[in-house]
Amino acid sequence: MREEEVEKLRGVVRDCVSKHLYSSAIFFADKVAAFTSDPADIYMQAQALYLGRHYRRAFHLLNASQIVLRDLRFRYLAAKCLEELKEWDQCLSMLGDAKIDEHGNVHDLKDCNVMYLEKDGEDHEINITSAICFLRGKAYEALENRAQARQWYKAAIKADPLCYEALECLIDNHMLTCEEETSLLSSLQFGPEDGWLSSFYSCLIKKYDKENVVEAKFTELEKGNCGINSSDPSFTNTLKNNTDLLACKAEYYHQCGEYQKCFDLTSVLLERDPFHLKCTLVHLAAAMELGHSNELYLMACNLVKDYPQKALSWFAVGCYYYCIKKYDQSRRYFSKATQLDGTFAPAWIGYGNAYAAQEEGDQAMFAYRTGARLFPGCHLPTLYIGMEYMRTHSFKLAEQFFLQAKTICPSDPLVYNELGVVAYHMKEYKKAVWWFEKTLAHIPSSLSEMWEPTVVNLAHALRKLKMYHEAISYYEKALALSTRSLSTYAGLAYTYHLQDNFNAAITYYHKALWLKPDDQFCTEMLTLALVDECRRGSDHKNESRRSDVHAL
Amino acid sequence: MGSKESCRTELRTAIRQLNDRCLYSASKWAAEQLVGIEQDPAKFTPSHTRFQRGSSSIRRRFRTNELPSTPTAGVSYITTPVPEEDDLVDSDCYLLAKSYFDCREYRRAAHALRDQTGKKSVFLRCYALYLAGEKRKEEEMIELEGPLGKSDAVNHELVSLERELSTYRKNGTIDPFGLYLYGVILKEKGREDLARTVLVESVNSYPWNWNAWSELQSLCTTIDILNNLNLKNHWMKDFFLASAHQGLRMYSESLSKYEYLQGTFPFSNYIQAQIAKAQYSLREFEQVEVIFEELLRNDPHRVEDMDMYSNVLYAKESFSSLSYLAHRVFLTDKYRPESCCIIGNYYSLKGQHEKSVVYFRRALKLNKNYLSAWTLMGHEYVEMKNIPAAIDAYRRAVDIDPCDYRAWYGLGQAYEMMCMPFYALYYFRKSVYLQPNDSRLWIAMAQCYETEQLHMLEEAIKCYRRAANCNDREAIALHQLAKLHNELGRTEEAAFYYKRDLERMEAEEREGPNMVEALLFLATYCKAQKRFEEAEVYCTRLLDYTGPEKETAKSLLRGMRAAQSLPSMDVEHFPP
Repeated sequence: MREEEVEKLRGVVRDCVSKHLYSSAIFFADKVAAFTSDPADIYMQAQALYLGRHYRRAFHLLNASQIVLRDLRFRYLAAKCLEELKEWDQCLSMLGDAKIDEHGNVHDLKDCNVMYLEKDGEDHEINITSAICFLRGKAYEALENRAQARQWYKAAIKADPLCYEALECLIDNHMLTCEEETSLLSSLQFGPEDGWLSSFYSCLIKKYDKENVVEAKFTELEKGNCGINSSDPSFTNTLKNNTDLLACKAEYYHQCGEYQKCFDLTSVLLERDPFHLKCTLVHLAAAMELGHSNELYLMACNLVKDYPQKALSWFAVGCYYYCIKKYDQSRRYFSKATQLDGTFAPAWIGYGNAYAAQEEGDQAMFAYRTGARLFPGCHLPTLYIGMEYMRTHSFKLAEQFFLQAKTICPSDPLVYNELGVVAYHMKEYKKAVWWFEKTLAHIPSSLSEMWEPTVVNLAHALRKLKMYHEAISYYEKALALSTRSLSTYAGLAYTYHLQDNFNAAITYYHKALWLKPDDQFCTEMLTLALVDECRRGSDHKNESRRSDVHAL
Repeated sequence: MGSKESCRTELRTAIRQLNDRCLYSASKWAAEQLVGIEQDPAKFTPSHTRFQRGSSSIRRRFRTNELPSTPTAGVSYITTPVPEEDDLVDSDCYLLAKSYFDCREYRRAAHALRDQTGKKSVFLRCYALYLAGEKRKEEEMIELEGPLGKSDAVNHELVSLERELSTYRKNGTIDPFGLYLYGVILKEKGREDLARTVLVESVNSYPWNWNAWSELQSLCTTIDILNNLNLKNHWMKDFFLASAHQGLRMYSESLSKYEYLQGTFPFSNYIQAQIAKAQYSLREFEQVEVIFEELLRNDPHRVEDMDMYSNVLYAKESFSSLSYLAHRVFLTDKYRPESCCIIGNYYSLKGQHEKSVVYFRRALKLNKNYLSAWTLMGHEYVEMKNIPAAIDAYRRAVDIDPCDYRAWYGLGQAYEMMCMPFYALYYFRKSVYLQPNDSRLWIAMAQCYETEQLHMLEEAIKCYRRAANCNDREAIALHQLAKLHNELGRTEEAAFYYKRDLERMEAEEREGPNMVEALLFLATYCKAQKRFEEAEVYCTRLLDYTGPEKETAKSLLRGMRAAQSLPSMDVEHFPP
């Protein structure tokens, strides 16, 4: 066969692949390979077989061709086949031994060159080493060797910053702590034209910074004044409304407790792209915080219909049942989600929360522990373990876990609040005040109703320190945020009572009892205050009476 | 004050603007004031003449009152020009939204306006959302009603609306109506200081929105707050001040303001009703009745404020008038809270307390914040000896308005019946603080001090003294004072009060056990003081009574005679 005819057939194969006619592609690639026995054509045939899901055959072909060990690409494809066949150990050995050090630098034992394949055209290619590192990471993850997996993912993204998948795995599986994420990001070497990507990545990672810092990141991207594209107005326009970016923003709103804002944004995004999974997750979370059970129901039904094999779908069902407070069912679905995908962090946490909601501490703790083990970069399971310990009054243990959570994520105000609560329970009120003040300092946006408990906690601690004026001012601050808290009124009343301001105390005890008429503390204290007021009131009046007499 | 003509034009424009924004009650109020201005002579028709004659006769009655007239000089009024609408032609969307709003489809209205940016549209959208939230809240409250008839239902729109409106205010793109709504929301969220500031801004830039004024009034709980408001002078401010003073129980100030306003608005039913309200608080029931009779003649289908009229009729126990009024409002509108309250009063007067409670409950279903219905229902429950229910009702009342002394008094009474004098005392003290010239309250307090649990007789004496000073109609105070002093062994004081009590009883020609007690004490006392003549007088008066006291008097007389070493006389010979 003439060379040009072969070349024509190659074209047919490429076209078949692009039209997803894999059987045809396999047929013709086989013929081309038979004509030429060129390694490149064998590679093409293997590729076609891979795409046609004939993994074992593709692997056999590559293995049989003997060049597999000499070319990285062959090896990579062979390893991909083994990945699909779930033969992880073989996959790893196919990729070859390589060592990795703490910082994600790879020491390859054998240096293989790309021999047989030339690069196609001017398209930017993802570094093959990066792809190989990523595959190693995946294999290790499948073998549940998370430490190794993490190292290899890091190596992959370091080898080529455009290997987004590696970063996605690191972030979605909460493999890195806050600090590690930032340091990894700063160590990446972006090409001169990829400045925007650097900003984009910084929006993807954990966002516990102050509001203005995060907002600045977003506006920078929205304006698109980074990298090469500032001259191209059409490009900046597209990025501003990019769903991925807006989903990050929604995630940030959710984290700040601005659930309504978050929900509005995700609703718009899902209208545009109903199958954006990250956005769906944030939407579910926001809907749950807002108690939109109807919305959750519809979402869950649609998701289960569209993606019955996704953990997210069953997670949505669990959320719905959690929202309507049917914790048994919700637990069942959360657990189903974890069975489908053991690395789906929200399901583990939801599973734990569903137990905790019914005060079944042991089971909740089990779920949280699994979460903490699987997701070392996520501080929430650790935090929740601490909370469970606190519920059982094991304050020392609780404190340890909170401190651990703090090392994972030093910028989440919630951790500081819990530390303060522990200190309060251990009667270390000064420390508690210190933690609570730190909490308030870490709140990303302005003080909202979400942080009302911290303000009340701070007031309680100040009261314990006999700093009544400060305590009262914080109680009043809390009342400006929410007027429906029994604890605030009771605390305020008690503080006034301690100051011997019986009248104010009585007023606030009344307000507290108005919210919860059978509160024992308030009822008893009210009676005491009334007796005190009665006795004291008479003295007080005596004096005024005396002056009356003088006036007469 | 602006001239009648300018008031008229201002009000006419304002009514249209308020109507455009679906602020119905404010526009109703403005319209009532508009016809309250003296009619254009050109437009006189016979029906108008009748209307005017009726009203002016009340005015004449009031002229006879020696109320201080407000000095009108020296107050310069800043004329606030009625703002022009920014968009003279409403957009189609606005018209659609307003139609939805008028059909009470609030969410739909808000949705129709979602992309409109005009101030008017923004206001209507926010207002519609607010009302939608309120509606849902009310529904939830009924759905989730707890045992005490209260629930934690909240208006879910508040948070987002507050955020939106605060941004507009910061940007300066908010109009007076938006400010009004913002104020309402802030008030509901308990941020009263900011709410006051915002409402003041609203009324200063658009004074014709009575809703805004009344919201502002509800935030003025003390006179200091009221005086510190930075309000522009406008004739609407006078309406506000009159009403606010009334709310702060400064009735004479309020009355004089209304008198003054009647100069411009001589036929305003609103002003007349307000005057009646003030007179009612001053317990001038006769006057109130006259005013209400006039009002009903002019405006026979009026239901507003008629509950107060029914209270007056109840207090005067005029069965027939109350029955007539009840039937009348029943036919006008059976399902108005006021109507239900009037019917409740009617049944209460007839002693049918269960039925009366049913109607008060209905009134409260219709308007949860209907203060007097809560208090009156509390009274009914007390009559029915259902103390916990009574306490709950009174508590709801004081929660709505902590200045309602009747409810505080009711609470005190209820706790007294439950033998919890410390609680009772506190509530009585609250009520006495609000109404210091009511002897009943002082006596109630004193009785608390007298209970065994407290046993603070000195305090009780002070309270009785206060009661005696403020025209104690039932004459309990003097007697109790005397008795207490006697118990404490202060015979001199006791004698003083017994004597005063006796004088009083003589003046009012009352007799009874108190009289006997007083006479007996005074007789013994005088005898001990060796004032035998006086003692003899008392003893002789005692002989008019039957019972053991008579015997005591006889023996006293005998003893005195012996002491005076007079020949012993046979007292039996005295005529009985």
